[in-house]
Amino acid sequence: MRCDYACGTHEGLSRRSFIGGASAGALSMLGFNGMTEVQASKKLASQQKQVVVFWLSGGVSQLETWDPKPGTETGGPFLSIPTSAPGVQISELLPHTAQQMHHLALVRGINTKENDHGKGGYIMQTGRKKQPGFAFPYLGSTFSSHLSSPDSPLPGYISVGAGGSSSESTFLGPRHAPLVLSGGRAPSNLELHKSMQPDRDQMRRKLRNKISRRFEQKRKTAHTEVYNESFDQAAALMSKRDVFDFSKFSDKDVERYGKHDFGRHCLMARQLIEKGVTFVKVGHTNYDTHSENFNFHIEQLGEFDKPFATFISDLYDRGLLEHTLIICMCEFGRTPRINSRIGRDHWGTAWSVALGGTGIKGGAVSGKTNETGTKVIDREVNGGHLFHTYYQAVGLDSTEEFYPNGQPIAKADPKAEPIKEILV
Amino acid sequence: MFRTNMRVCVLLLVIFLLNALPLQMVIAATPQLSEAPLIAKKPKESNVKPLHKIIDEQIQSEYKDQTNSVSTISSDGEFLRRVYLDLTGRTPSITQTREFLNDSRTDKRAILVDQLLASAEYARYTSQQLDVMLMRRLRKKYINVSTWEEYLRKSVADNKPLDQIVREIFASDGSNKETQAAARFYLARAGDVNELTRDIGKIFLGADLTCAQCHDHPDVNEWKQDHYYGISAFLIRSFVFTDKKKKQTVFAEKAEGEVKFESVFEVRDKTSKGAETTLPVVFNGPKISEPAFKKGEEYQVKPAKDVRPIPKYSRRAQLGVAITAPQNRRFARTMANRLWAMMLGRGIVHPLDADHSDNPPSHPQLLEILTDQMISHQFDLKWYLREIVLSETYQRSSANDLFTKKSSGKLDDSRFTHAIMKPLTPEQFSWAVLQATGYADIHRKSLKNKLTEESLRKRLLGYEKRFVTLFGGLPGKPVEGFETTADQILYLSNDGGIQGLVMPSSGNTADRVLKVPVDQPDKIAEELYLSVLNRHPDQTETEEVAKLLQGKAGVERSQMVSDLVWALVMSSEFRFNH
Repeated sequence: MRCDYACGTHEGLSRRSFIGGASAGALSMLGFNGMTEVQASKKLASQQKQVVVFWLSGGVSQLETWDPKPGTETGGPFLSIPTSAPGVQISELLPHTAQQMHHLALVRGINTKENDHGKGGYIMQTGRKKQPGFAFPYLGSTFSSHLSSPDSPLPGYISVGAGGSSSESTFLGPRHAPLVLSGGRAPSNLELHKSMQPDRDQMRRKLRNKISRRFEQKRKTAHTEVYNESFDQAAALMSKRDVFDFSKFSDKDVERYGKHDFGRHCLMARQLIEKGVTFVKVGHTNYDTHSENFNFHIEQLGEFDKPFATFISDLYDRGLLEHTLIICMCEFGRTPRINSRIGRDHWGTAWSVALGGTGIKGGAVSGKTNETGTKVIDREVNGGHLFHTYYQAVGLDSTEEFYPNGQPIAKADPKAEPIKEILV
Repeated sequence: MFRTNMRVCVLLLVIFLLNALPLQMVIAATPQLSEAPLIAKKPKESNVKPLHKIIDEQIQSEYKDQTNSVSTISSDGEFLRRVYLDLTGRTPSITQTREFLNDSRTDKRAILVDQLLASAEYARYTSQQLDVMLMRRLRKKYINVSTWEEYLRKSVADNKPLDQIVREIFASDGSNKETQAAARFYLARAGDVNELTRDIGKIFLGADLTCAQCHDHPDVNEWKQDHYYGISAFLIRSFVFTDKKKKQTVFAEKAEGEVKFESVFEVRDKTSKGAETTLPVVFNGPKISEPAFKKGEEYQVKPAKDVRPIPKYSRRAQLGVAITAPQNRRFARTMANRLWAMMLGRGIVHPLDADHSDNPPSHPQLLEILTDQMISHQFDLKWYLREIVLSETYQRSSANDLFTKKSSGKLDDSRFTHAIMKPLTPEQFSWAVLQATGYADIHRKSLKNKLTEESLRKRLLGYEKRFVTLFGGLPGKPVEGFETTADQILYLSNDGGIQGLVMPSSGNTADRVLKVPVDQPDKIAEELYLSVLNRHPDQTETEEVAKLLQGKAGVERSQMVSDLVWALVMSSEFRFNH
C-alpha cells in the first residue's frame, strides 16, 4: 500500500496532532466548534444550502447510464436515447431520468485510478487518496460542518439506507457524524417512555442538571459541560421528531416513488430536505455486477430511474432544487471489456458521475472518453476536482483550509481545481 | 526452603486468626498462597522503599510552585467509588459503602485494595481493559471472541506476568487447541502485516510508526522506515491458512520472503538507491540473524496445494521474545506507562503511542523507575496496580479550589496535582448503573448459593453488551477520551430498559428508598446518595430531597423517587470516575 506524498507536506499530520484534533472535535460537539470559519458557515447557513448524495453501492456501469457506447464492441446491448438536454444522450435504461437531464450535468472524464471498493469509496467521499495516519472527513460530515447552523437541533448529516459510521467525521467531531437511519427507520428512543410525562421529564432533567452543577463547582468541567449539553441536545431532537415521522406519505406519492425500499428512502430524503436537514445520503445497492451485468442493470436501474427522476422533479417543483446540490456517484465505474460471465469488473480509469441542482449548469457535459470507453481523451478529472466542484456549487471556497488542532489541512486537494464548465 | 517455611507460618497465622478476622479478609488472603507456577514471584519483603512511596516522592518533588494548590487526599467515599471502579469495574453496593465509611481502622484503604485485587471481578474487569488495549474491540474473525476473553480473564486471575501473556499471544498460531485463543491477536487482523506492525508499535512499544511505512517519520526524527520494516520483517513470511479438512484457520509461515522498502520521497526526487531490506529487529536492538539452509531443505513440511507449510526456522517465533527481552526497555516502559494511564487518566508519556524525544515524559525519572521496577518485579500486574492505587498521587481528590476560579488553566493535568476525571468505560458504566439502581442486588439475592461472578454476569450481560455497543465506539476504533452522542442520551433518557431500573421493584434502590419511613427525610436522602453516589448527602442535598418528597404519597411519591434515582444516575458525578 502506497501513501500519498502529501503526508509529508503541509497537509500531513502526525498521529499525535490527529488525536489532539479528534479530542478537540469531541469537545466541540454540540455547537462548541467556534474556532473555525464561523463567519463563512454563518453566511452560508443563512442561505440554506443542502446536499443529497445518491450512492450506487458496488459501482454502477457508466456504459449503462451516463456514457453509453451503443454499437461498439464494449457497448453492450442497450441503445442510447435523447434527453431533455439538447445534444446529451444517455442509456435507454434511464428513460425517466432522461426527462430531467436539463437539471443535471455529467462528468464523463473521471480517472481515479482505483479499483478497490474501500479505497474507491474513500476517494469519492473524501476527495483524497487514503493515506496512513490521517483520516479526512467524509463529505457528509464536511458539509454538515460548513452548512448547518451550529444551534440546529437536527443532525447535519443523515444517511438513509446507505450505512455510515461515526468515524466519518474524523476531526470535525461527533456533532457531524452521520445519523444512520438503519433499515429506513427513525432513530430509537425519540419518544418519552410510556410511563413518563413531558413535565415530569423536564423536572427530572432540571434536577439532573442541578445535581451535576453542584458536583462541578470545584472540578474541571471540559467534559462535564459536553455531557450536560448533550441532554439538552437530545431533548431538542425529540421536539423535532416529526422530521422522522415517515408514516404520512400519501398513496399517490408511494405510487409515484415505487413500493420498494429505494422508493421509500427517496421519499424519506425528500422529507428530510424539506424539513431542513443539511446533508442526506441515500443508498441503492447491488451494482457490483461481475456476472450478468446487463440483466442486473435492467433490474437495478429499473428500480432506480423513476424515483430518482421523481425526486429531482419534486425538488424543482417545490423550489428546493435552487439551493440543493444533487450528486449521483459510487466507488468506480465498470470495465468496458465484457468478461466471460457477461459481467463487467471494477474500473476506475474512465467513468462518470451526475450532478444537479444548485450551482450546477443543467445539461452541461464535461470530459470525454474514447469510442470504446477505455480511456479518457478530454478533460480528465479525479476525486479532487469533484470535491472542488461540490464546494463551489454550494458557494464555498474550496481553496480554504481546515485547522484541526491549529494545523492547516486543505479542504480539497490543492493539486486539483473545480470543473468550471459545469458550474453556473 | 525459605519460601515453604514462610508459607507454613502464614498458613498457621491464618488458621489462628480465622475466628478473629472477618471471613472476607481470609478469602482475600488465600489466592496468594497457591503454588501455581505461572504466578509472578513475590518480591522479597525487605526494607526497600515500596514503590507507592517512591511515586509520591517523585510526583511531589515536581509540584514546585504548585505545592499550595495540590488537591487534598480524597474523602473515603470518593476513594471507595474510584478504587472499586478502577479495580472491579463497578461501584460498591450500599452495604459495602456503609461498611467502609463506618470502618475506623487507619489502614482500611490498603485492606480494601487487597480485597478487591483478590476478587473475581478484578480479573474480569482488568482483562476487559487489556482486551480493549490489545484488540480495539475488533469483531470475531476465525477465533471465538469468548474463548479469547476467557484466556485473558484466566491469565489475569492467575496473575500471569504481562510479558508472558505477550509472548503467548505472539507464539500462538491457532493450530493447538490449548493455545488457540491467543491467536486472535493475529487472526482478527486477518494477518495483515501493516495492521499488525502498526498495532505492535502502538500497543507494546509506545510508537505509532504508521507514517514510517512510506518514508522516515516526517515529524519524529528518530523513527525511521527501518524501524517499521524491522517489525514487519518478523511477519512478512506469515499468512492466513485455512485447513479445509480440519476446518481450521491458522497463521502459517513460509521459509522465504523479505521486506522491501524505499522512501516515496526519494522515489519522487529520484534520489532513491533502490529498495532496501532488513532482518527482523525491534527498534535499535540486535538484528536477528537466521540459519541458512540448503536450497530445498528449508522446510519441515514443504508447501503444496492445501498443505500448510512448516519452515525449519520460524521468523515469527522470534517476535515475542524480541519484544519482551529485557534489553528492549521500550516494552516495559510502555506497559508501565499504559497501566499508569489506566489508573491515573493520563500517561507520563502522553499520548501513549508517542514516546519519543520531542514528546518527553512529564516525569522522566519516575518513568525510568517504574520501568526498572516493572522489570525487576517480573511484570507483576497485580503488584503494580496495587502500588499505584496505594499512592497518595492516585488518592488525591478531583476537587480543587483553583477550578472554581477562571484561572483553572493553571492546574495542568500532567502534574498530577489532582485526580483527573475519567469517563466511565462502557463496561463500568453498565455495571455502575446496575449497581446504583439496585438491579444487580436483586439478582445477587435471587441467585442465592449459586451466586458467583460468572453466574451474575450471565444474567446481566445484555446490559453490558448494550452499553458497549452504544458507548464503546466502533469495532477497531474504540472511543478514546470522552464522546457523547444523541443516541446514547436518548437511550439513557427514554429506553424501557433504563426506565425499568429506576422504577420501584422489589429490592431495588427506589423500592428501598420508598420503604424508609416518611418522617425520616435524612434517612431517605442517605439511602439514595449512599446507593447511587456512594457518599453521604450534604445539608443542601438532604433538604432538596426532603422538599421534593414533601406532601407526596402513593404514585406521586414513587414517581418522584424514581426520578431522583434517574437524576442521580445521569448526573455528571456519576458519569465520570472522579
